[in-house]
Order: sequence, then structure tokens, then C-alpha cells
Amino acid sequence: MEPDAAAAGLSELAGCPVTITGAASVGAQRSTLFVDLERPTGVESAVAQISTGAVETRPVTAEAALLELVGRHGVPVPTVYAATDELPGIGLPAMIVSRARGRTIPRHILRALPDRDAGDNLARQCGAALAALHAIPATEAPPAFEEVSPTRFVELQTERLELLARPRPAIRYGLRWLGDNEPAPVDSTIVHGDLRNGNIVVDDGGLIAVLDWEVAQRSDPMQDLAWLCLRTWRFGADDRPVGGFGAFDALVDGYETAGGTFRQPAFDWWTAARCAWWAIGLAAQALAFTTGRTDAIMLAASGRRVPELEFDLLDHIRRIDH
Amino acid sequence: MHDDPDAVTLLEAMAATLADRVVPALHDGVQHEARIVANLCRILARELAESGADLDMFAALIGHDGQRGDLTAELDQLIASGHAPPETLAVLLADVTRRAEITKPGYTFTDGT
Repeated sequence: MEPDAAAAGLSELAGCPVTITGAASVGAQRSTLFVDLERPTGVESAVAQISTGAVETRPVTAEAALLELVGRHGVPVPTVYAATDELPGIGLPAMIVSRARGRTIPRHILRALPDRDAGDNLARQCGAALAALHAIPATEAPPAFEEVSPTRFVELQTERLELLARPRPAIRYGLRWLGDNEPAPVDSTIVHGDLRNGNIVVDDGGLIAVLDWEVAQRSDPMQDLAWLCLRTWRFGADDRPVGGFGAFDALVDGYETAGGTFRQPAFDWWTAARCAWWAIGLAAQALAFTTGRTDAIMLAASGRRVPELEFDLLDHIRRIDH
Repeated sequence: MHDDPDAVTLLEAMAATLADRVVPALHDGVQHEARIVANLCRILARELAESGADLDMFAALIGHDGQRGDLTAELDQLIASGHAPPETLAVLLADVTRRAEITKPGYTFTDGT
């Protein structure tokens, strides 16, 4: 993508001149750019996300509608300025949102916390944000956000497992266990699906925004809490189960104080479910490398991270079954 | 037969050179990638140095010998069809523990948290 063409397309989308000032990240799915919007009232810093043209799971305009919905219900999210499924001159989906100024890199977030209380406070804020999200009637979500019940989740992961290059009996065992141990049915809520240390913006006062709503869905709310606590997102700080920064009790306290209902068996099930999901995801990244769809060394290296997730999955099952 | 230093020694030296000398001289954008490459060198050194013990676990579980790939596929099918042998979880855990200790030493020494 030509930077000039991107700036021109974003200018047309924003309705004012847009200057690209830097790249925040270039992911497999989208590029995230820092931009300046030259409005009549002055220059405003913002963030533009442009799809890289790979598979989008849903229209970016639906994601923008979801952001506006959850923002109205008190979930801290960036403000959507403009969104389109076809950026003028580029043809790819794009969205411009306000820039939440704070730390986003996980190790920077962990390093900047002055003490354990600050980490627990952040965990409470994450719990409160999730409670606000889960309180929104799922029927208000745009139709593009599909329902993912535990049964459907296992079906989808079994399909993804079949697409990998080689058999993975550890993940297979996990999926069988998940199918045999589904949690009690519960009304679905809107679920972020990827709220973890790495998709939050934090300043000295704590949580200021929840980012990356690409995999949002309607599902069991415990899925969000389980994913936030997965070992893989603790960056080695295993004594702080919530994102490597907070105590588990602080998260649950923040969640329940804000009106959420914590359910341990469902939390345990979704912990195993998301270990399996990420083990398959990492193996799929490695497959993208070995089949020549990417030359990124980071995705090649993902193949050597699969055993960590397989271990977390089976070790978790072993603890529950005993 | 190759010349000295052997592959494991070289990979360890490559990792140390990257991490200690190259990474500090790089700018942010590529530092992370260089760290990943250094870590991959260490993983490969541990893979090459592995004794090959424990590789018979799948054969013992299934009840016959075979190539590692074939046994893995057979075990996968047994689990998928609901016919996993009773000791399957323990054997799989031992196998992933062995592999995880190569990719991330110390990862499987958990205290229950």
C-alpha cells in the first residue's frame, strides 16, 4: 500500500486532510497507523486501522457500530471518527478512531506499575469494564457478531485442527475433554474475545481503553475472564494471574462489584478452551510460514510456542480431573 | 562428520552473539526480531542436544512399535474416535512437558497457580 494513497483515502474518509505520522503496528490482519487529522479547529492525533486485505471476519463498519454501542454503555473504548468497508483509492476496510494515550506494550505496562496494589487496581478496572460489556443485551450487538456456544466453539476448533499440517494429539485430547465437559448453559452476552495484556491502554491511573474488537462475538461471558488470565499473557509473572499484573480475586471483585456474576466451572472450561484455541492459532501461524504465505520470522517462531499452550491445556485438565 | 565446533556449540555461540552484541546495536523495529532469532538458535541447540529418551512413550501406550509420525497419527485417531487408552493424558503430558522444556526451559515447573 502506497503511503500517499493511504493518506489520500483516509483524508476522504475523515473529511479533512490526514497526515500519516508513524506506524503503531503492522499485524497479519491490519496495519495500525498514527495519523494527524487537520480539522478546522486544529490538529488532532488519531489512529487509523487499514486491513491488509487478508480475511476479515466481519465488516469493519460492524466493528465500528459495536465500539459505539459498548462505549455508550460505559466500556472504555476509543471514539470512532469514521469507518468504511472500502477506503477510497485503496479498496480495503479502514477505520479512524481517537488516540488513547498510554502504554500498550505488555512489558511496559508491567514495568510501570509502582506496586502490587496498582496491579490489583488495574485488574479490578478490567473486571469492571468486562462487567459493563457483559451487561449489554446481546440482542443489541450488530448481526455480524455470531453466537459461539461451547458446542459451536468445540466444532469450530475441531475444524481448525484438521487444517493443520500434522496431527496434534494433545490438542485433540483437549477438544474431546471440552466436548465431554461443557458448562451449564447460560445466556450469551457480548464478549470481546481478545481482552488481554496487549490489547489494553494503561496510564498512571490505570485502564483507559480496551482495543482490538476484531474477534468480538456473542458467547459465555466467562470466556473473557478466562482469556485475560491465561498463563501466556502473564509474561512470566505467574504469581499475578491477571495479565501478569493483578490478583485473581481483584479481577473477580471488580467484576462482581460492577454487577457481573462469576461462575468458576465455566471459567475453568473456557480456560481450557482458549488454551486449545491459542495452541491451534500458533500452529496455524507456523503453517502460514511453512506454506509460504508469510516470511515473518515471528510467525515461524510461533510453531515452537505450541508446546507451552499444549502443556497449559493438559495441565489444567489434569488439575480439574483430580 | 563435520568440523568443529559442532552444531550445538555453534548455535549457542550464534545466540550469544546476537543477544549480547547485535541486539543492543539495533533500533527498536528489528530488535524484537533479532531476539526471536537468538531464542530460536537456543531452542535448536537444545533440540539437537536432546538424548532422544522418552520417544517410545507413544509406542508403549498404543501397544506396538512404529515411526514417531505414524504413532502420533494413530494416537490422534484413537482420541478422536473416543478410544483413547486409559493412560493417554499422563503420556501426552509427559510428551508436551519434554517438548515445552526444550522450547522454554523451566516452563513446566508450576506451583499450581
